[in-house]
Parts: sequence; structure tokens; C-alpha cells
Amino acid sequence: MSKLQQPTMTGNENATVLQFAPFQSAVDEGFWHRLSSLKLNKFGIDESPIPITGFYAPCSHSQVSNHLTLLAESLPPEPSEQSLVTMSSRGNRNKCSIPGILYNTNTLEGFHALDKQSLLKAEAEKVWEDIHSGKAEEDSAVLSRFLLISFADLKKWSFHYWFAFPALVLDPPATLVYLRPASQWLSLEEAESLSAACNEWRSSSATTDVPFFLVSIAPNSHATIKHLKDWESCQHDGHKFLFGFYDPCHLPNNPGWPLRNLLALICSRWTLEKVYFFCYRENRGFAGLSLSLIGEALISVSQGWKDHQHMPNAVGWEFNRGKKVPRCISLAKSMDPTRLAISAA
Amino acid sequence: MVLSQKLHEAFKGTVERMTNPRTVSAFKEKGVLSISEFILAGDNLVSKCPTWSWESGEPSKRKSYLPSEKQFLITRNVPCLRRAASVEEEYEAAGGEVLLDNDDNDGWLATHGKPKGNKCDEEENLPSMETLEISKNNTIQSISSYFGGEEEEDIPDMAEYEEPDNLIETDPATLQSTYLVAHEPDDDNILRTRTYDVSITYDKYYQTPRVWLTGYDESRMLLQRELVLEDVSQDHARKTVTIEDHPHLPGKHASVHPCRHGAVMKKIIDVLMSRGVEPEVDKYLFLFLKFVASVIPTIEYDYTMDFDLGSSSI
Repeated sequence: MSKLQQPTMTGNENATVLQFAPFQSAVDEGFWHRLSSLKLNKFGIDESPIPITGFYAPCSHSQVSNHLTLLAESLPPEPSEQSLVTMSSRGNRNKCSIPGILYNTNTLEGFHALDKQSLLKAEAEKVWEDIHSGKAEEDSAVLSRFLLISFADLKKWSFHYWFAFPALVLDPPATLVYLRPASQWLSLEEAESLSAACNEWRSSSATTDVPFFLVSIAPNSHATIKHLKDWESCQHDGHKFLFGFYDPCHLPNNPGWPLRNLLALICSRWTLEKVYFFCYRENRGFAGLSLSLIGEALISVSQGWKDHQHMPNAVGWEFNRGKKVPRCISLAKSMDPTRLAISAA
Repeated sequence: MVLSQKLHEAFKGTVERMTNPRTVSAFKEKGVLSISEFILAGDNLVSKCPTWSWESGEPSKRKSYLPSEKQFLITRNVPCLRRAASVEEEYEAAGGEVLLDNDDNDGWLATHGKPKGNKCDEEENLPSMETLEISKNNTIQSISSYFGGEEEEDIPDMAEYEEPDNLIETDPATLQSTYLVAHEPDDDNILRTRTYDVSITYDKYYQTPRVWLTGYDESRMLLQRELVLEDVSQDHARKTVTIEDHPHLPGKHASVHPCRHGAVMKKIIDVLMSRGVEPEVDKYLFLFLKFVASVIPTIEYDYTMDFDLGSSSI
């Protein structure tokens, strides 16, 4: 375990590559139920991509990471239920909405034949465009865009699927100067003030599902949290300045995946070379500054990297038990009408 | 589902349709909740323990007597780091005290162990649902048995489709690990790290909250429902915990059957009152979850708050 968490040394003797813990997916059974129903009653053989919504929240337990979760409501409503859907059924503090896209194929062969590299690149390009257009600063959730490919076998009630969490690759990679619990990096007064500010941000319905933010700490230890778009206006001399994000990861020595595209935004839009980042994590639903991390990273990308026309490489297909394979789940026990009839008899 | 349970479900459904939901409080008298008290207690839980949220669930399953945005409560991704059976073994090995109040064997304050001497008496008092025919085998089973067992023989071996190395990326900034699991009590068995979605619904028939469990394995794949019983106190695993349709979500889920909830809550309330503590109805769910923790001792959902229960022994 400890071996996995040690950042590795590569290239330059003194540079530690900043390594990010991959995002992990979790699909609720309800998602597959609704997808099956939509496939039968609405989509038919249409293979057009479907916009979907994933949900995540800051890590809230020191031993378990949070996941990008798909629920029934991640999909569009079924035709018969459209009138029943209320706006309030969208995100909340435990379900921050992230935009995604679903490619559901009609056959298993079609599923395996999908050009995964192109699909990943297409989604990464959306992130890149949103960074350059400024949209990512207005609506930061687009930085964590995701992709899902699937084949729903409605004869056997099994579902083949694979997630990707596209991340723009910094070249060369960012290097880590240090990473430590936020409670150690901050003074006691600063930590108290930042805790209060985070709890306020998380309890306000206007900001609770905004997963990226700025932290400014005044010389008098007073911490304030701002939206990414307020970057220009909160640059003050003598203030400590952190780039914060909801970190789904629980590991003590690595930030989670969402930081990757935030760093891409920072070095594309604001051309910073030294970045202080804040991995926001919670303890029982409240700011947990001993679980949260603060780190310093150095970014020195090549000049061409920032060129809008040259999209950087992207990575992010999810591993399945360490392998590069799709996942498969059988729900015959809860969906197959024959089996349900037998078990009810 | 056996016939007796089906009959009971049909009966219950008819009664639910024909009776109006409880509007008069009988919290102290019977340990039950009215609809508005359930909402009140749920709001308090969400505000004190924000890992819990209200949800609306499936639109087609919505109950008209509950607000559309407050149909049930849920907390997701709750860690469960070890199996209940192993906790019980340790507890018994340590010779632990079991029931705080053993007079009539309700076992509501039971800690995690099972009583050695009066096993038979206790069994008679636990309501049996006779629905689960689970083998006594409590060993941790391979998760792949769920996906690769006889019944699923048609699922192709994914290894055949393993992608060439050039798809996934040799990226030095990606943390390489097989999967990211929690630290284990013993590092020998990776299958122990499970997570649960725990939900609380309102049971109109019994007029009490009802707890539902959806389990996931260490790679967040849905846990076979029968394996969920490994995370239930073994006194309850085949009796009070049943697998039924969730009232607001698709599919079948494990649930602590609510037939004794009112009586157990009444007992807890009586104990509090005998200690001079006036129980408040908005704290109902904290007391309730405390009691449920004796049924699912290793699922670490949040129900803590600062309030005086009159004694530290609860």
C-alpha cells in the first residue's frame, strides 16, 4: 500500500512527478433499469450519443474514496414520467452534477469496435475548448466531463460498459514540491477561518455543487472562497492564494483526478508556474482540514502546449481491477421477467 | 418469495391504500411516527449529519403523502471495512457482555455479539420472515462468482478484449495501483472493503422508518444481495433482514424488516424517560439509527450528534 502512494522519481533527479489518483466510477442499479426502459421505449436502434449527468462529492471518509456515481436520474426521464420530474431532483451537496456523454451501442461487436481513442479525444477537446472560451471559469463542473460507452444486452440482462475521465496531460508533467494535510500547512487561525468558509460554501444552495473554487487568505488569517471567474479581482499582495477543488480521493499522498484539468486551466489561462492547490475533503459532511491536503506544484509546459490550436494529449480510460478491460454486470436476477416470475412463485 | 410473505404484502398494500396516514402523534405511546414527524426528524438528520440527503427516487414510485422532494433519505458510499461475522467472533472470544436489558429478550440494545446461553429464547423473539434460504456458509466469497457463475456463463471473458497497450496510456502522472482500497484491519483479504448506500424510507403500514441497504464490492460493482447478509449481525441475517422491492428505487434491496421497530423504539423512549430525559421527536432518527447499528454493526454510516440522552450507556 505505502509503495503505491509514494510518488515516483523520474527524469530530473530532484523532481517528483505529481501523480493523481484516478477517478472511479460507480453505477447504481437504477441507471441500468432506466437505460433498458429508454432503449426499449424511446431510443430503439438509434445509437446517437446521449447527454447524461454524473454525480460526485468531496471525499467524506478517511478510508474510502468517493466515486463518480450514475443514478437513474443521470439519464433523461422516460416519456411517461416527464411531467413528474421536478427541478429539485437534480444535484445537492452530496450529488454535484458533472456533464457526461453516453454512447450505447446496439451490439457487443459495435461496443468493442468503438474507436476509444477518438472518443476520449473528442471529450477532452470539449474541456480544452471550455478552458479557452472561459466557460470553465463560469461553470467549473465542465472541467470534470466524463464519457461512458455501453452495450445493454436486453436478452440476457447484462450490461457491458467502460468509463473515461478525460484529463489533459501536462507536458512535461507537473512536479510536486510538497503535499501535506491542510491543518499542518495553515496556522490555527487560518484553518478555523477556512473551515468556516468551506462549510458556508457547502451549505449554500448556490455554491454547494460548485466543485472548483479559489481560496484567498488575508494576512489577518481571514479566509474567503471565490468562484474561478473572480481570479483577477482577488489577487492581493500578501495574501495566500490556493486553487481548491472537491477531492473525491482519500489517499494522504496524492490529489484526486479533478485537479488535472484545473492545472491545465491554470497554466493555459493564467500562465502560472507555481501553484498552491487545496484538495478539499470532508469528515462526516463538514470541512475536514486534517484530511484535506495543500500542496505546491511547479508547472513548466513547453511553449506549444498553450497554443489553443494544439490540443494536448488526453488520458483517462478507467482501469477495471488493474486491467484495461471494460466492466460487465448481470442484472438478470432483478430484471429478467422469467426469473422474477420464478422467484415470486 | 414465499406465499405467506406474498399474502402479507397484499394485505399490507390493501391496508395502506384504505387507511389514512397517521396524523396524530403516538411517538411516546407507541414508538411510531406520523408523516409530518418523519419529515421533521429527517430534516434534523440532514442538517446535523449532512452526508444524509432527501431524495425523490423513481417518479413512478412516488408516494403522494410525502413531499415530492422528500420521499426518502439516503447516504451513499458508506464504508464497511469488515464483515459482521468476524466482529461477532472477536466479541464472543473476548467474552463480551451482550444485552443491556435481557428481561424480555428484545435485544434492542444488543451490542454486536450474540448471547451464548439463551440462544433459543432469543430466536423465538426475533420475528422470522422465513424468506431467505441462505446457506450457513459465512465465508467471504469471490466476487467473480456473481458474474461468472453457472447462470451467467454467457458473459464473455473480458480478457479476450483486453485493449492493446497503446490505448491506456503510459502516463507518468497517473497513480498506478490495481485499485484504491482502504486500509484493512488485516491486509490479507482485499474483498473486505465494501461500501453501502443506506436509505431510510417511511413505512406507512408500520408507521416507522425502514432501513434499506445496497452493497458494493471494493471496485464498486453491485454486491450480490445474499452477500449483504455477511454485513448484518448474524442474529438478524436470516430473520429480520429480508430482501424486497425498494419503495422508491428500482430493484430488490436488503432491508431491516420494520415489524418490531415501533416496539423497540417505544422501549428506548421508555428507558430515556425513566432516566428523566424527555425525548424529542425530531431526534427520533438518531435513536433509530443507533438501534439499527446493532443490526448492521460494521456499516459506518453517520448518526452522531451532540445531544443529551441522559446516559452514556446508550
